[in-house]
Amino acid sequence: MKLIYSHLQKFLPDLKVEPQQLRDDLTMIGHFTNFFEEIDSEIVFDLDIKVNRGDCLGYYGLARDLSIFYNIELISPKNLKLSPNNYNLPITITTDNVKRVMAIKISELKNTDSPDWLKTFIKLHGNKPINTIVDLTNYIMFLYGIPNHAFDIAKSGDQLIWEMNPKYKEFISLDGSKLELNKDVLMINNPDKALSLSFWGGEACSIELNSTDIIIELAIYNPTTVRQNSRQLKSITEAATRLEKELDTEIIPTAFNHLIDLILQNCGGQISSNIFDYYPNPINLPEIEFDSKKPSLVSGIEIPTNFSTDVLTRLGCLVKDKFITPPSIRKDITIEADLIEEVVRFWGYKKIPTNQPISPKEIDDITPKEIYLIDQLKDLLIGLGYDEILSWPIVSTPVDPKSVITTQNSINTEVIYLRQSLIPSLKQQLDQYHRFKLDNSQFFEIGKIFSQEGDKYIEKNALGLYCPDSNKLLADLKQLKLDVNIVNQNFAEIIIDNLDKPKNYTPKILNQSAYELNSQLIILDANLTLNFEENPIDLIKKYSQMIDSTILWEIVITDIYHDSKNNKYRYTFRVSYFNTDDKTAKKIHLRVFNLN
Amino acid sequence: MDQNLDQIKNNYLTKINSVTTDSELEQIRIAISGRNGLINDLFSKIKDIAPENKKQYGADLNQLKIELEQKLKEKNISPLNQKEISTRQDGFKNKNVYSLPKIGHLHPISQTERQLNEIFKKLGFSIYNSPEIVTDEFNFERLNVPKDHPARDMQDSIYIKEPEYLLRTQTSTIEAYLLAQKTKELPLRAAFAGSTFRNEKVNRSNHFVFHQYQAVVIDKNVTMKDLIGTMDLMFKTLYGPDVVVRYDCKYYPEVEPGVGPNMQCFNCHGKGCPLCKYAGWIEMGGAGMIHPKVLEMAGIDPKIWSGFAFGMGLDRWTMAQKNIKDIRTLMGGNLAYKPNEL
Repeated sequence: MKLIYSHLQKFLPDLKVEPQQLRDDLTMIGHFTNFFEEIDSEIVFDLDIKVNRGDCLGYYGLARDLSIFYNIELISPKNLKLSPNNYNLPITITTDNVKRVMAIKISELKNTDSPDWLKTFIKLHGNKPINTIVDLTNYIMFLYGIPNHAFDIAKSGDQLIWEMNPKYKEFISLDGSKLELNKDVLMINNPDKALSLSFWGGEACSIELNSTDIIIELAIYNPTTVRQNSRQLKSITEAATRLEKELDTEIIPTAFNHLIDLILQNCGGQISSNIFDYYPNPINLPEIEFDSKKPSLVSGIEIPTNFSTDVLTRLGCLVKDKFITPPSIRKDITIEADLIEEVVRFWGYKKIPTNQPISPKEIDDITPKEIYLIDQLKDLLIGLGYDEILSWPIVSTPVDPKSVITTQNSINTEVIYLRQSLIPSLKQQLDQYHRFKLDNSQFFEIGKIFSQEGDKYIEKNALGLYCPDSNKLLADLKQLKLDVNIVNQNFAEIIIDNLDKPKNYTPKILNQSAYELNSQLIILDANLTLNFEENPIDLIKKYSQMIDSTILWEIVITDIYHDSKNNKYRYTFRVSYFNTDDKTAKKIHLRVFNLN
Repeated sequence: MDQNLDQIKNNYLTKINSVTTDSELEQIRIAISGRNGLINDLFSKIKDIAPENKKQYGADLNQLKIELEQKLKEKNISPLNQKEISTRQDGFKNKNVYSLPKIGHLHPISQTERQLNEIFKKLGFSIYNSPEIVTDEFNFERLNVPKDHPARDMQDSIYIKEPEYLLRTQTSTIEAYLLAQKTKELPLRAAFAGSTFRNEKVNRSNHFVFHQYQAVVIDKNVTMKDLIGTMDLMFKTLYGPDVVVRYDCKYYPEVEPGVGPNMQCFNCHGKGCPLCKYAGWIEMGGAGMIHPKVLEMAGIDPKIWSGFAFGMGLDRWTMAQKNIKDIRTLMGGNLAYKPNEL
């Protein structure tokens, strides 16, 4: 959500902190603020609002929090009085998904392009200014977090019906998008046509510059219905983002009156109906038992009880001895833990020391023994020169189509099966290593493999190995005492769940290098002639030290030739370079082996 | 054959027989056939042999040389005086290649897991795990995320059989299993790493498989101070004593109060840069005091027991540590290890 500093100050005139400080403080009290930037001489913050704080999807909710945090005055919205007409709007509501609707008719309006301040406000919130009436409806939504809508009576008439979709197959939204509807969609219609969704206005009743007679409505619905509708229609609008959360039905009159007042101020016109207010089940605020010592007990630091009372009072709670009634705007406060969090966050998480971890304690070890086995196997395999790899658990080809588990909504239409064996993944890894000219890798993976028997999903821990030398693979398996099914001589796989498990095992703590290869190794040969025989391993070590380790992958000696007539020894080196280009590798290679 | 030569020969035959690696074999070859090796040494002693014994000594010596070299050949090692004298150095290289011994490597994610496990084991934590195919109950309901809760949008699940079976979306699911299975074994301390799955497009920055780490404590009188201190210990162990981490208020349905650890961006030191999306801080995971409803659903009385839980992603930290730029590398063929380097 975007937040313009100067508009926030309309609720908090004493708010003077530097933008950077405000960014950090907003984050500390739970409104993670990514960044702020200056646009058109305005400081604009970018916030992630928590899903349980629908009230903070508007300036007013955020200002309430900040007024407590900074202990500064909050300018509450004016309680404007409207002068309604006696005409009763013929509105019908046929669904219990509507929590509250307020509506009114305004006539003889003169709609115009929005004034500059409003255009700027709308633009800074990432929207395109349309006209004064439309932009004011959005302005009020951003201010109070309550979506609302204006209907052009010339197009819609005033017989509005809030209903679950009675018959409509499609709906065309304000931006011209055509949506296919099912019967579970909450809509606002007239007897003849579809006008609006709960979270998105329709083209059929859009406000234009020549609109003169309109109905304004503010409504709050069953958030689950809105959420399901918007997800099903794949249309997540600003209104849907708000209406899918628990919003305050009690603030509707304030926002409603403010909007009507602004429209009348900016577009003239007059109210031409009575105020329609449908509110079948006024809220019943919870009374929560609260122990004022709990914030200290939970936080682990001393928080004075009078601070708790003070914070809760300033939050708008009704404090009656040990019973607390939260304000209607705070739908997220329902149990004692919620009150404790409020007190602790305003006391400040930063006052909790960071240098006192939980004390060590001897508790029965409940570690499943297969964890010890897996650690032990990994260490043994590493000791035998194998590298550990990880691969995708979801694959494109089943090993046994009869028992494969298929995902219903995988990342794409090809990769949909849970793997039944590690071997195909090991083969893919081998192919990739070959592409990089890593021809002598030996590696393993320990991971889950999956299958299905009837309605039962089965997952097992498996070990898969690859070794280019089948004799070594056999010898290694023998050494590990693993009775393994060998596949294609170089691959092996075993279910490890049934192996004997150690009672305890302390794995090695390793800090080993790993590299992200983006291209083939560059492999260059060089001959070195010596007058005496040298241990080739010593030669490899010597020359390895002469090449920068950030580009040297490996040196091997592929051939040693003894010229017995001249008693000379020729060593053929093969050097693999990485993380460099051909030209640089050749230059270094020539220099190191004196090949210039 | 001369008794001494016979004894020498038998000694070396025994040595050749007993070697288990090509490296050892190569050392023996050099000891026998090298420039300063056994054969040359013995030939050089001919001058010290009595004239009447020289012929027999020479014949015995040749016989010894033939037998030892034959034995070396059987071990797949070529005699020094032939044209091709290369040999296998170890058990997996192509024939006729020498190299340093191949070293095995643990995957960077496993390295990080072990590092973390070690910290928590010292504090009395067990290590735990649970299935990857899970039920909606354990992935959501028991973590205080009922059906149609907006928090479910934070986790785009991969379903096996919607709505009941899915791949776990978070390691908190392991916590739900832990609490259900160990209700009668309080107090509890457990840490766990695991793969988690989200329906995300796979690209350079995102993957559908994430690796997370989580720690859970259930005990009497557990506090946020315990939680934050323990998390800070973990971050300092991973990132060093100078790491700056702040703990702000966050919302996660399974905890309350919720805590969000943010690390000061190591790239810009809090000034703001593309890496930290100009926030100056990087979100490091989620934490908090276990929500009373979560305890109740596990049959644990929240009036007696309390607890904390925290989780963090391992992938990004591991990538930063190993200088890996593309998250896909962690689960694919681009990750490689130098054969001879730790």
